Amino acid sequence: MDEESAVQDSTPAGPWPAPGALLDEVPRDGGQEGPIIIANEFADVVVTRVYTRNGVRLDIWSPRRGTRVQLDAVELDCLSYQPTETFSAMLERTPGG
Amino acid sequence: MSTTTISPGLRQLLGEMREGIPGGRVPARIFNDQEIFDLEQDKLFSKAWCFLAHETEIPKKGDYVVRYIANNSIIVVRDEHGNITANLNMCRHRGNMMCKSEMGNASHFRCSYHGWVYKNSGELIGVPMFKEGYEGQLDRSQWGLVKVRTETYAGLIFGTIDPQAPDLEDYLGGFQFYLDIYLKQGLGGSEVHGPPDHWVAETDWKICAENFSGDGYHTPVAHQFGFHLGYFPSSGSTHSEGWAVNIPNKGHAIGLGHTPGMPAFFGYPDELVEQMHQSLSPEQLEIFSKTRTAVGSVFPNLSFLIQPFSLDPGEPGVRFCTMRLWHPIGPGRMEMWSWCLVPTDASEEYKEAAYKAYTLTFGQAGTFEQDDFENWIKVTRAAGSTMARDVEFPYVMGLERPKLEDFPGPGHAVSPYVTDTNFRNLWSTWLDYLTREE
Repeated sequence: MDEESAVQDSTPAGPWPAPGALLDEVPRDGGQEGPIIIANEFADVVVTRVYTRNGVRLDIWSPRRGTRVQLDAVELDCLSYQPTETFSAMLERTPGG
Repeated sequence: MSTTTISPGLRQLLGEMREGIPGGRVPARIFNDQEIFDLEQDKLFSKAWCFLAHETEIPKKGDYVVRYIANNSIIVVRDEHGNITANLNMCRHRGNMMCKSEMGNASHFRCSYHGWVYKNSGELIGVPMFKEGYEGQLDRSQWGLVKVRTETYAGLIFGTIDPQAPDLEDYLGGFQFYLDIYLKQGLGGSEVHGPPDHWVAETDWKICAENFSGDGYHTPVAHQFGFHLGYFPSSGSTHSEGWAVNIPNKGHAIGLGHTPGMPAFFGYPDELVEQMHQSLSPEQLEIFSKTRTAVGSVFPNLSFLIQPFSLDPGEPGVRFCTMRLWHPIGPGRMEMWSWCLVPTDASEEYKEAAYKAYTLTFGQAGTFEQDDFENWIKVTRAAGSTMARDVEFPYVMGLERPKLEDFPGPGHAVSPYVTDTNFRNLWSTWLDYLTREE
């Protein structure tokens, strides 16, 4: 992949978000790059791949709550092998009411 | 615990009905009456095994649907460990409805009132301001969602709120034999094809449950277009032929209509017929191979129909299967759920054709459905009128008809298919529930 096409591929994901920043338009299905909207009747989040100078993270934004977090591959990998009880314990500690 | 008081007038009506059923007399009033509705809620739907969902409606972890037992909203969910569980759809804190969507996917449920969070299996885990408000003193293990007892048969999930209810196998009492025509259409069983149609109808649930307990009598009249235009492989002159079978004192019943000269398993694809020779017993094969129409009900209000229907008039019919739930929400009023069931192992082409046949006939816009509801709404309206309070209907068809002693299936079987035999058993079972002492 040459440098120009690499830049084009990364363009739809947008820059690293400023702390607390909200997207300025209604999120759309962004395909491979995101944003992807995951929602049920209890919560909704917008998931986007974002790039650092040297790598990539997954941005998870909760519009209703106004919170967001950027997880790297190690953190995401760690999530992949957590039992469901880990998430229950997180919700127990901070139910987010 | 039973709380409904039976008025002297209703007690007399039920007493007269008890005496009338063996001779084939059923009062019109039961089909639209506030007292009957109240009594059914308390003594029937709070005691019986009630259908909740098909397992294939919640195939993945976190999938849930919201259904009812009597007037109780119930969450039916596949939890994060893959187990099916059912809970009352009510937050234990102040009683708010937990799930407001009819279906969804969630690992945890969060109450929209004060924010209590439960695992989808019902355990309370998250309480906002647990330290600040409750000073850590709330024992969360005591305040999970209220559990509902469930059991399954061949993909059907039933629930009961009666802790004394017998197990589901006893309750079905051999009717599983006939349910298999709908649920074991091939080695992979059956699955729902898309979400159910769901609407409110100004009809008493009992009229529908009776019709689907084997009313072949109405078909050539109410659905005459199907005969006249070549959609339906039967004729008025032979439509009475077949069997009617019920499970005595359980209320379950099925009508098995025949068409003379119809090839065995007409309307099924060949590969499914081959599989059914493995998924069904020889006795089931003997009965089902001859069956054109199988219209049956699990007492009290879950029904099924399988029959061939031509997508183009005169063309060979395709078998479709519908499962439906007649859920009462008031006297003469109900919520209706209607599913299309397809054989899991069938080709996509067959599933689509079967679904098309289903939607042409049943669901809100289905031709057979509209024929039926047009009649059922009028029956309901008449049954609620003042003069009808003293009117009885004749249920005398087949009153002297002997039981078929050599019939290969369980239950009480008679021939021909057109008879009131199943309905007399249905209403006497219904009466048993309504008059049962605690």
